[in-house]
Amino acid sequence: MAHYTELNIGPIHPSIHGILKFKVKLQEEIIEDVEITLGFLHRNAEKICELNYYADNMVYFDRMDYLDAMNMEVGYLTAVEKLMDMEVPERAQWIRMIMAELNRLGARLVGLGAFGLDMGMLTPFFHCFIEREKIQKIFVEASGGRQEVNYMSIGGVYQDFNDQIINDIREFLKEFKPYLEDIYSMFMHSEIFWQRNDGVGILEPDVALDYGVTGPLLRGSGVAYDVRKDAPYMFYDKVNFDIPISHKKDNIGRFILKVEEMRQSIRIIEQSLDKIPDGPYFNNKAKKSMMLRLKGDGEAFSRIESDNGEFGVYVRGNGTFKPWRVHVRSPAFKNISVVPVMAKGMMIADLIVIIGSIDTVIGEIDR
Amino acid sequence: MNLLTRIHEWFSFLGNPASYAIGYILETLFIIIFVAISFIALIYIFRKYMARIQRRVGPNRVGKFGILQLIADAFKLIGKESILPEGRDDLAYKIAPLIIMIATLVSFIILPFGDLAYFGSLTITHSKITLILLFGILSILPIGEILGGMSTRSNYALIGTMRAVAKDVSFEVPMLISALAIVMVSSRSFVTGSAITGGFNLSTIVTDQIIPYGIIEPLGLIVFFISMIARASYSPYDLAESDSELITGYTTEYSGMRFGLFYIGLFGMIYLGSFFISILYLAGSNGPVMTDLGFIYLFIKTDILVLIAFLVWVSLPRIRIDKFVNLGWKYLLPLSVINLIYAGFFILYIR
Amino acid sequence: MKRTGDSTMYKIISESEDKNKIKIINIDKNDLVEFMEDYKGKGYYLSSITGVDMKDHLEVIYHIHNYDTHEYIEVKISTTDDKVPSLTKLWKAAEWDEREQYDLMGVIFEGHENLRRIVLPDEWVGHPLRKSYDLKKVQYISMDPEGKEHVSYNENEGW
Repeated sequence: MAHYTELNIGPIHPSIHGILKFKVKLQEEIIEDVEITLGFLHRNAEKICELNYYADNMVYFDRMDYLDAMNMEVGYLTAVEKLMDMEVPERAQWIRMIMAELNRLGARLVGLGAFGLDMGMLTPFFHCFIEREKIQKIFVEASGGRQEVNYMSIGGVYQDFNDQIINDIREFLKEFKPYLEDIYSMFMHSEIFWQRNDGVGILEPDVALDYGVTGPLLRGSGVAYDVRKDAPYMFYDKVNFDIPISHKKDNIGRFILKVEEMRQSIRIIEQSLDKIPDGPYFNNKAKKSMMLRLKGDGEAFSRIESDNGEFGVYVRGNGTFKPWRVHVRSPAFKNISVVPVMAKGMMIADLIVIIGSIDTVIGEIDR
Repeated sequence: MNLLTRIHEWFSFLGNPASYAIGYILETLFIIIFVAISFIALIYIFRKYMARIQRRVGPNRVGKFGILQLIADAFKLIGKESILPEGRDDLAYKIAPLIIMIATLVSFIILPFGDLAYFGSLTITHSKITLILLFGILSILPIGEILGGMSTRSNYALIGTMRAVAKDVSFEVPMLISALAIVMVSSRSFVTGSAITGGFNLSTIVTDQIIPYGIIEPLGLIVFFISMIARASYSPYDLAESDSELITGYTTEYSGMRFGLFYIGLFGMIYLGSFFISILYLAGSNGPVMTDLGFIYLFIKTDILVLIAFLVWVSLPRIRIDKFVNLGWKYLLPLSVINLIYAGFFILYIR
Repeated sequence: MKRTGDSTMYKIISESEDKNKIKIINIDKNDLVEFMEDYKGKGYYLSSITGVDMKDHLEVIYHIHNYDTHEYIEVKISTTDDKVPSLTKLWKAAEWDEREQYDLMGVIFEGHENLRRIVLPDEWVGHPLRKSYDLKKVQYISMDPEGKEHVSYNENEGW
């Protein structure tokens, strides 16, 4: 007779990266089945968005993937601006792109640090967070916000870049590059890190596609899909960067891929800093006094590449000041749904590492 | 001349029985307090050191340079509410932390500490079988772990207990066999070349080490050191407490001072293990220059070992349970047996 | 317009484009499974499911995506009785998406084997994204020792 231990990992647990519950059926330490319970951080942002003016909704998108707030804003704005037929000045788009990529670096750093912590590696966590703090300081300089920045607005950005910020970013990148290699080697030169991750959390590409998985998790399975390349938004078609993929399909592959993507992000920022033109930083039709009087009509779906994958926003307007329906296609929501497949037959320790390598943000899953 | 007779001298006006009783109590207290204070200082140094590795500042608020931080932490722990879980086995739940802490503390009074200037030898226990005594006390520790884990109805504690027991069983054996090799080597005296009977006596093992046994048996030293880190549940072998998987393993349901006692046991264990290694393998209180300050030599050796263990702790990720048990049975056990055979050849042909 | 394949047969009501140049295909809800089967054969994968409450009827919008040709298509169906066929047999991704739309919008996916609430408590009353949902009525949840949730409108009986 099969005899199981039932273990509730979560809702409050040190390594779930938020509040999420995994109900795990164990035989000895081998996982037989995982059942995921969501909703502990559910705020129904989609409903709240329906009750607000278009411009007000930015703060709720900030708080979805709270680590990657800039990309969330970009995702919402690309949809809403299409809905309103709002032109965005070139300078504003470049600024958005730089900020989005910087925030992607920041979110990745948190992900890598927490990944190390999940394995009991204390040291890289601090190194990652110290580097991330420098990015946050740039955000403070630009927007006044540290994590939930609320930097962008419909038709542009809240504040123009000055020379100080551009200098800060350049300096940060110069210092950051060797540190990134340091952090990378801290992981990769550890024999135990390889033991823990090699061949753990294997995700076959057809399974990944079937579950709608996107982002590093999909590219880690060998499918080269990145919205920035396949359906370029903003000016991603005007900069040179590569989409790395890994055919290893396991945690190691995903880890190397994530770090490689950070290097590509640095490339994008460097090119963007050179290309950023002069000009207005917001569209006059959406200046601050007019912001609440913007109307949207029809429907628009936009997708962007956030830290976790394809972040889609569907907005439907009915000609009033408020959206009729806002729907978010959350990448982390899809990514976490594949955990039971990846964790089956593994051990508890592996489950924790797999969750760490997926790098979920609960704010985005529950919305 | 040793510490006991010194104290006996001071209190001789009370008569023999009373002064000896006071002497025993005082010297035990003296050693435990000295060990505790020196260990607190060591943890402070380590925290500063770890902070530097992690590009932080480390404790710097409580007291000058933050030296009182650990005291503050201890008071915080004592002041915390002790939450009793529902459905516990009350007696087992309450004595488990005491078993862990007392067993760890009692082990310290068995060690041969060497001389300290005016006080003479600080060794408290004068027995011929201190090695066996020490291993006996160490084998009490798993009882505390089992009682602590099983008395609460938590699945995390249950899995943590299973891991802790697996850890103790698989690393006790290589540790014992390595110690046995020491006993074999020390059964024949370096000094006189004749067989001596004090192979199980830690004091004899120390005085006999003109060459440290770590040089004669490097394999044994490595096996013993790894086993010691594993027994003390230190990263990368902290599976029983693995905080990212099992919250804190068998201590999950403990809080406040009871958790603090487990914690003392954990930290005490690494210190005890380091003492043990410096006595068995690094010539204990013997130094390059013979003085009456052997105690200091012993402390320096021990502290270096503790710092190495801590350095391993901050730099390595945690190993997985199956690999961990494999390490114990498939690598360390054969290595320790090879070491034992080598020790046999050594005393037969080389000595 | 009518297309006939080997085994597929569905009718496209109309085609249009949304403001972001994504193709919208309107079909009847009875044709949905056949349509999706056809597109699955062409290499499309489900990306997201959106329910929209139009007060007199529900619109359910499926975004499907081809990873080879990078085509993104919006498929729109409408239903008056809240019921639409489930796509869980075609794509695993539909499982959670449909649960989410059922939970928040009240779309009933026929053929979904595990159509439970996903983010809200199991006993929750109503579907919050409906326009008719009363936001002023606060629901409080409590849990009994067996782990079953109960809903109450009284502030003192839950949190």
